[in-house]
Amino acid sequence: MRNGQEVHRRGVFRSLAGGVSAVAMLSLLDSESGVSRGAVRAEDESGRPGGPVHEPSATSVIHLFMNGGPSQMDLLDPKPELVRRHGQEHFDRIAGEVEFPEAAGALLGSPFRFARYGQCGMWVSELLPELSRHVDELSLLRGLYTTNLTHEPALYKYHSGSEFTGRPSLGAWITWGLGSENQNLPGYVVLEDPQGLPVNGVDNWTSGFLPASFQGTRFRATGAPVLNVSPDFVEPASVTAVERQLIRRLDRLHQQNRAGQSRLESRIEAWELAARMQTSATDALDLSQETAATLELYGIGREPTDAYGRRCLIARRLVERGVRFVQLFINSQIWDNHSSIGTALPAACARTDRPIAGLLTDLKQRGLLDQTLLVWGGEMGRLPISQLAADRNPGSSGRDHNKNAMVAWLAGGGVRGGVVHGSTDELGFAAVEGRVGVPDLHATLLHVLGLGADDLYVSRAGLKERLTGVLEPTVIREILVRS
Amino acid sequence: MWCFFKRFGAVMRLTNALYSVLMWGVSACCGVIAAEPPEFVRDIQPLFQSHCGSCHDGGERSGGLDLGAGLVRGGDSGPVLVPGQPDESLLLQLVTSGAMPPEGEPRLSGEQIDMLRRWIAAGARMPGSQQIPAVNSDRIEALLLLRCAACHGASRQEGGLDVRTRDSLLRGGKSGPAAVPGQPDSSLILQKIAAGEMPPTRRLVEAMIKPITESETQLLRQWIAEGMPQAVVESGKSSELPAGAREFWSFQPPRAADVPEVRATGRVQTAVDAFLLQRLEQAGLTFAAPAEPAVLVRRLYFDLTGLPPTWQQLQRVLQDSRPDRMSRLIDELLESPEYGVRWGQHWLDAAGYADSEGAQNEDRIRADMWRYRDYVIRSFNADKPYDRFLHEQLAGDELADYESAAEVTEELSDNLVATGFLRTAPDRTFANITAFVPDRLEVIADELQILGSTVLGLSINCARCHAHKFDPLSQTDYYRLSAVFKDAWDEHDWLKPLDERLLPYVPTAERVAWEQQKEQLEDQIAKLREQQKAVADAERKELDAAIEKLRQQIPREPKIRALWSRGRPSPTWVLLRGDYLKPGRRVQPGVPEVLEPGGPLLSYEPPWPGAQKTGARLAFARWLTKPDHPLTARVMVNRIWLQHFGRGLVETPANFGVAGARPSHPELLDWLAVQFVRSGWSVKAMHRLLLNSAAWQQSSAVSELSERRDRENQLWSRMPLRRLDAESLRDGLLLVAGALSERRYGPADPVQVRGDGLVTVQPEGEQWRRSVFALHRRTQIPSLLESFDYPQMGPNCVQRGESLAAPQTLQLLNGGFVHDLAVRLARRVVQAVEQSEPLSATGEARELRIVQLYRMALQRDPEVAELRELQSGLDQLVREWQQSAGTGGAAGAGGAGNQSVLLNSAEFEGFCNLCHAVLNSAAFVMVD
Repeated sequence: MRNGQEVHRRGVFRSLAGGVSAVAMLSLLDSESGVSRGAVRAEDESGRPGGPVHEPSATSVIHLFMNGGPSQMDLLDPKPELVRRHGQEHFDRIAGEVEFPEAAGALLGSPFRFARYGQCGMWVSELLPELSRHVDELSLLRGLYTTNLTHEPALYKYHSGSEFTGRPSLGAWITWGLGSENQNLPGYVVLEDPQGLPVNGVDNWTSGFLPASFQGTRFRATGAPVLNVSPDFVEPASVTAVERQLIRRLDRLHQQNRAGQSRLESRIEAWELAARMQTSATDALDLSQETAATLELYGIGREPTDAYGRRCLIARRLVERGVRFVQLFINSQIWDNHSSIGTALPAACARTDRPIAGLLTDLKQRGLLDQTLLVWGGEMGRLPISQLAADRNPGSSGRDHNKNAMVAWLAGGGVRGGVVHGSTDELGFAAVEGRVGVPDLHATLLHVLGLGADDLYVSRAGLKERLTGVLEPTVIREILVRS
Repeated sequence: MWCFFKRFGAVMRLTNALYSVLMWGVSACCGVIAAEPPEFVRDIQPLFQSHCGSCHDGGERSGGLDLGAGLVRGGDSGPVLVPGQPDESLLLQLVTSGAMPPEGEPRLSGEQIDMLRRWIAAGARMPGSQQIPAVNSDRIEALLLLRCAACHGASRQEGGLDVRTRDSLLRGGKSGPAAVPGQPDSSLILQKIAAGEMPPTRRLVEAMIKPITESETQLLRQWIAEGMPQAVVESGKSSELPAGAREFWSFQPPRAADVPEVRATGRVQTAVDAFLLQRLEQAGLTFAAPAEPAVLVRRLYFDLTGLPPTWQQLQRVLQDSRPDRMSRLIDELLESPEYGVRWGQHWLDAAGYADSEGAQNEDRIRADMWRYRDYVIRSFNADKPYDRFLHEQLAGDELADYESAAEVTEELSDNLVATGFLRTAPDRTFANITAFVPDRLEVIADELQILGSTVLGLSINCARCHAHKFDPLSQTDYYRLSAVFKDAWDEHDWLKPLDERLLPYVPTAERVAWEQQKEQLEDQIAKLREQQKAVADAERKELDAAIEKLRQQIPREPKIRALWSRGRPSPTWVLLRGDYLKPGRRVQPGVPEVLEPGGPLLSYEPPWPGAQKTGARLAFARWLTKPDHPLTARVMVNRIWLQHFGRGLVETPANFGVAGARPSHPELLDWLAVQFVRSGWSVKAMHRLLLNSAAWQQSSAVSELSERRDRENQLWSRMPLRRLDAESLRDGLLLVAGALSERRYGPADPVQVRGDGLVTVQPEGEQWRRSVFALHRRTQIPSLLESFDYPQMGPNCVQRGESLAAPQTLQLLNGGFVHDLAVRLARRVVQAVEQSEPLSATGEARELRIVQLYRMALQRDPEVAELRELQSGLDQLVREWQQSAGTGGAAGAGGAGNQSVLLNSAEFEGFCNLCHAVLNSAAFVMVD
């Protein structure tokens, strides 16, 4: 176990649709012996199962991350009492929970209409007309909360389980622990917004103290799709081929003179993998292979949905190819509606509602939804009181951050549809029933993928480091088909 | 006993998990409390004696708890009883959860537990003077520090009020006393809180505090009502150490054994070899054959300088026929300025060096951090004794009076720069909203973790929330250690990292130069201002622009990112379960008890008369470097060994504790540790010992015997084959391409980020400096370094990874940086051949170039088989280029257009590919 050399392959499950082998390939991007020496530090004992430990109900995750903190009481958690008490002073009762005390205004009822949808009758705001058609596929979490009301710590928490920098992200843990099912693509792909990085930048998909090859690989919808996957320089393909052949021969000669050095073999393997990745990545990103109807479904080719629609479609193409964890980001915190929530929030919804609904439809049509877990949500929620600009004009009211309540939904592999779990108080300020912390959400994701929170760990600086932290998390069994 | 100690830690976690269940259960059964409260002597004392006494009486004090005389005081984790509040009482929590008494011991019955509960609920009364006040000034001081001291404490006393002590509350402020003993309703402080005026809600973020809670207000009221009782002062030192704890190997001072006798005396080059051979011979093994001299020279250059030798440097050694040529080379390289660059980097890893704060989106640049990097490099070059090195880094500000010095010398300034060691952790407290007490505590905790893992080799960070699960380290130990730093790292008296926690004491010469430059520019600006008065509007605007331009040229004030004492530390409490809202027992500055038989408390005094400094850190630093310290020397020699040999004698360099690895060669480790101290803590002396050994100089070839009997190379029957680390790879590429700048030190070289995320270092003209001088911004680590395991500093790195992964291959194969360097290398090769040889036939010229390429890139001649591959490869490459004329390429871009010798560009293009192939080959990336 020392040196992390031994990789557990207990209970690697075979799954699911069409008898496709779900045997994990740990060796993508990190050959086993590559990991062995110190890639996870030498002192570290590690828990790295190498595949699901119990039967998984999904093999891939698409994480639709909504940077900024979507407003729960304007989208998915209607609060009639808040509307009734609109305009009443409330600040002093929650003063310690407000980021900008000087800008705090009175209670702000949602200006948006809610109605019930689907067989389950789930309440959804008028801002999400497309999603409302899919409520019978969703498990909605209204009792979710986090632990810090500032973006950066809340983002770290949401993505790595800790409020602080330097921990492996969710996707890194999962791909490190489970491996990938595609030998030619990275296991953890990040589809960032070409307009810019989210808050905390590349830290959101860092591998922390896990080997660097498990950090999220950024795929771009335009230009060179993956860092260094195509050459930065121009030369004839035949030249490239000859040079690579030469390197291969030189390395074989080098190896022949050094019998018994397994590291040299690992290096050659890593080299071969890199070569295969070059073609696979380009192919996965080629949307010209899709029909017009599919493009239309995602809102590709028109505004304001084109950019996000493309990322959603690429996400489908990646999970189709066995990529384990796909994460979608949006630039500039479109959900961080400190002001003018009446116009900014509808705009954010307009960019994403159709692409996400399209993704749900498409995955379902292709029979992929059963093995893909979709997770939607942001790093925090918003306050029931208004936030005012310096002129204190209520017309441009927004909402400040709230760590005590936020909303998320899950859909797909192993998750029940049409379920609402948890609730907030009458004003939507804090989760009161079915309270779920971020580590609980993480534990639930791991569970769906066939892992217990304790199956993945690295012993480091004397601590058994787990994604979910020191305290025991609770899997949200209420939303699972097989609890 | 020992068992209990370990269990206690495990129990704490359990306790947390069970806490909510417990609370619920408790409130549900409150209704059935019987009328008559139990009586201590009759009901409770016998219970303690029968069920708890074997571990918690006057003799045995597990967890620091004595349930006899020490009941009032509590234990390691603080008070165990809160009168009137059974659910808040640790004792009841542990008993109810089943954690205590421990497994295998007789448990308390439900009735007995209920009796305990009722006794506590009724006030936990005891006969005589033993009564526990429900709340005392200690608890209240902690509370007021947290909620009020931001505006009524050390740095500010708004309204003339200081709330930090009982006395200062009684003294009060402009409006009179803040509290009146026994009269909560007449106490101003409670009136203000009740009225919602204090703390002022709209100013909470500005003051970086959270509102006082309802239960805290109640506690304050109760304390005032009870007459503001004083804290129970700790009577004396009470050991919390389990019996026998100090017997563990690493808690004993190192003792040098005699150098063993071995059979293969011919292979003993330094004493190191004797220790290793002893074990090898027991296993029927010996060292591998000595490495080829050329292999050894390449290995040595990379090891000591992080760069490959040049062909000339190699030849010079090979032609030296003196028997001690290798030893001379070792000495020579130790004197090279590149040595400090390389070995400084190892220390910077351990210290968690970064040029940015991290932890916040802006990832703000630490514009002054480079001084610490330079200090480390220069210290290694100067072979600064390790004890002095630690004194400076841990307490440089307490070594000499810098404030009243007439001149700030290099040394005075360096003392302060050195404390940058304690300023490396990610720090988000530059913004109010992320500078609340828990955020500050996180910075302190990270610094203590770095100290623990780097210097002490102990995971002391574990004891922040509970007693260490494996090592005899208590929470008291942890908080005593944090008290050592409180004079500088004070969560209740905070300085923000980027503007407030900087000192201006750079060397006087540098400061004067800066002042002069600034004055000059300001004079020029003033003159332009004068001119402006007399001219028309249009011209005035022009002058505005000129003034702005000058203003931008005014250099930043030179500052030092330091940590310094201010002579007014807040008290330190053990934080129960690490929770800042749960202060336990108050502790004094001290060291882990297990490491100091003389007792844990430090004695210290202001370092010079009138110093506004406690001197606690200096006392701590001196304690760390006492000659018989059980850990300091061992941990450092192990770190040095690790870098030379690829694995430590203790495989867990940051953990010498019970859960860490045992040393593979304990006698050797101790012998080295003792030597280290005897040599005056000379790091270079250690290098000489290790590098001159036959062990280090043996071949990395795996023999059949060594493979069979020493598969994991635990005995060092060969040298490990190693991959170049990130910096050596990048710097080596630069060197062989002739693109490495020799300029050292100073502000970091900026990086640039391409659209697809590629991070590269900006060159200076056509050259790049060594990687250590690149900006190490946490969110923008140069991609090449990152994919070759440059670590995430979270908060530091005690041992690098050595992975072999596809992204590395892609970087080297497809990256424009490596490609450009290959072209430059090609040019160098061509030029060199041209200069040394007359023009000859194509075939001959090609062979000469290939040989020259190998000498420059790999410092050897190609072997016959290699030469054959290279020649036929080059043939093919040139042919392909000829057939696809006009498709990109280096020569087309003007690369070697002026090289008369290159008859056509296809020839050069093909050769560029050959160079690129060699830089990509295993032979370049791996070190034998």
